[in-house]
Amino acid sequence: MFRQLKARFGGPLAAAILALLGIWLIVMVTLPQLQMIDYSLRPNLLPAQLGGPEDRWTLTNYVTLFNNEIHRAIFFKTLWSSVLVTLLTLAVSYPLAYYLAKLASPRQAALCLLLLIIPFWINEILRTYSWFIILAFRGPLNEVLMMLGLIERPIRFLSGDAGVMVGMVYAYILFMVFPIYNAIESLDDNQVRAARDLGAGTLRTHRRIIIPHAKPGIATGCIMTFMLAAGSYAVPALLGSPGSRWFTQIIYNWFFEGGNWNQGAAYAFLLLILCIGFMSLVMKVFKVGLGDIAK
Amino acid sequence: MDASVELDRVVMRFGDFTAIEETSLAIASGEFFSFLGPSGCGKTTLLNIVSGFLTPSAGAVRIGGEAMAGVSVNRRPTAMIFQNLALFPLMTVFENIEFGLEVRGVDRKTRRATSERLLALVALEGSGPKRVTELSGGQKQRVAIARALAVEPRVLLLDEPLSALDLKLRQHMRVELKAIQRKTGITFIYITHDQGEALNMSDRVAVMSAGRIQQVADPMTLYRSPQTGFVAAFVGENNRLEAKVIDRQGERVRLDGGALGELSGRATAPTPLANGAAAALYVRPEHLRPVAPGQGLEATIEALHFEGAWVMLETRLAASGEKLRVQLGHELSRQHLEALRPGQNAHFGFDPEDAVVLPDDGGPALDEATGEVVEAGHV
Ligand SMILES: Nc1ncnc2c1ncn2[C@@H]1O[C@H](COP(=O)(O)OP(=O)(O)OP(=O)(O)O)[C@@H](O)[C@H]1O
Ligand SMILES: [Mg+2]
Repeated sequence: MFRQLKARFGGPLAAAILALLGIWLIVMVTLPQLQMIDYSLRPNLLPAQLGGPEDRWTLTNYVTLFNNEIHRAIFFKTLWSSVLVTLLTLAVSYPLAYYLAKLASPRQAALCLLLLIIPFWINEILRTYSWFIILAFRGPLNEVLMMLGLIERPIRFLSGDAGVMVGMVYAYILFMVFPIYNAIESLDDNQVRAARDLGAGTLRTHRRIIIPHAKPGIATGCIMTFMLAAGSYAVPALLGSPGSRWFTQIIYNWFFEGGNWNQGAAYAFLLLILCIGFMSLVMKVFKVGLGDIAK
Repeated sequence: MDASVELDRVVMRFGDFTAIEETSLAIASGEFFSFLGPSGCGKTTLLNIVSGFLTPSAGAVRIGGEAMAGVSVNRRPTAMIFQNLALFPLMTVFENIEFGLEVRGVDRKTRRATSERLLALVALEGSGPKRVTELSGGQKQRVAIARALAVEPRVLLLDEPLSALDLKLRQHMRVELKAIQRKTGITFIYITHDQGEALNMSDRVAVMSAGRIQQVADPMTLYRSPQTGFVAAFVGENNRLEAKVIDRQGERVRLDGGALGELSGRATAPTPLANGAAAALYVRPEHLRPVAPGQGLEATIEALHFEGAWVMLETRLAASGEKLRVQLGHELSRQHLEALRPGQNAHFGFDPEDAVVLPDDGGPALDEATGEVVEAGHV
């Protein structure tokens, strides 16, 4: 990297750029994280006890999760729900990405992408609030469904998992659509035509030709969506509470309501480990490397 | 098994643009049939109509006597070899070849046996477990052929399958393709803009220009007796001399070449040549011979290209100033060849049997950059 930079900017400037990058990585990224790890490994003490005999490394904060039944349940529920959000988003995004990449005319695709992107110019909280309004017990969705005679009584979408799912699929759809769209876009149309010519129907063509080709895109989309979902705070807080609690809310509580940063940091790291675990699992299942995903 | 292909008054329009003018054609079962024509003349479009990727705007396609209207691509008894091959890069050679069989629910064992047999046919034994990305251009070509043959098509459609290969390999694959066609007895419909390929391999060739078939004939007839000015100019090389019909007796036509004097040649087209009508006489460079002064056409040699087996002379006719290309072969003695120098005058004659007379169509349109024929002239 230094050689490339040197070739472009000359020695001193290249060294300066690398030094800045290094400082940024160490001071802004690595050190705070190390600090958090340190926090998470120490018990929550009164100021007077800091540096005392009790102020030493222990795993108690991590063990808390496994002893607290409610927290444990929420942890796994967050895991499953995030997986479900990921799958739902994938189910919605794949056909959309395929349509955009292969079926739509350039005009249609441009229009469609614009319609997808515009809502993302609006703040996530506002977007989520608009779903709050739509899904409300006496909101427009229930009105319409009742008018159509599809339901007799309004459905309680909010303060439960359904609202959270809808909100999250909506919030993260772009992060799934774009990687898949990019992957499918690069597929040679003749591959699809060849498969059809050899007798394959639509389903088999997707299963054997298009999906394998789009795999790195699908993996990237799934990982991003899962991470965003598992780490989401606003959507479950607005659309799910009090029925559906998310692990992020518990972390928030430790930090800002319980005032127990040590415990909060430990929980945050457990969530991080969960995400990394999911990421490695996806990469293994899809047989893709970090390089494919970074593309 | 009947593997004939019939096009019955097929028309293909894209919006206002007519890519294929009304075309009727019957290709016999087991025939090696080629479509030859310049870029954009509608070859691929025609092939896509046979394979089912395109539905003709009008007319019908029949394969083995069965109407193909409403029969989708994956149900037609055809297989296509794409211009860029379109092998499946994520699959091995085996998986590629067996894909069509997998689709048909053939069991694993039979599939493997078939692909082994086909790999032997295309001389690629032992390459089955390789990824297609590991293969050379020629090997990929063979895998594409094997993959298409695996589904036992009645008709194999080949869209310029050799255009991506280098010259040596291309010539080699020509021989192999022809051999495979003979062995399997499948109808081959072959698209190319390389006339060498078309003449060399085909039983019959259809020459196309701007969505219209100009002539369908066996290679020899196509070369000897072109029926339109486009075919005369596109297939092989031809000198074109404008003249007026004096009279016609059977095939033989006498022409008034103006300053060139009286010329004569052979009429090949069914179109009548009335006395006094404008006509064009086509004579190939290799049919011109040096003759004694006072006979034939007098021309000034402008350039001489030595090609090894022959010499190509660029000359200009003394009487009319038109260009005349003359190809002289090894049968001429060395002294004779050495006497031909740029700036000298010489006389060239031809056997009227070798010259073709066609109604004047104004001459074909040429590509400005390459000088290649791109479109037929318009009467
Ligand atoms: N889907 C389409 N929509 C509009 N025009 C088309 C379409 N497909 C082909 N054409 C037009 O039809 C004409 C014939 O195209 P085609 O691809 O059949 O040419 P070709 O003879 O195969 O040429 P090449 O040798 O370059 O492959 C071209 O002018 C092309 O622009
Ligand atoms: Mg083509």
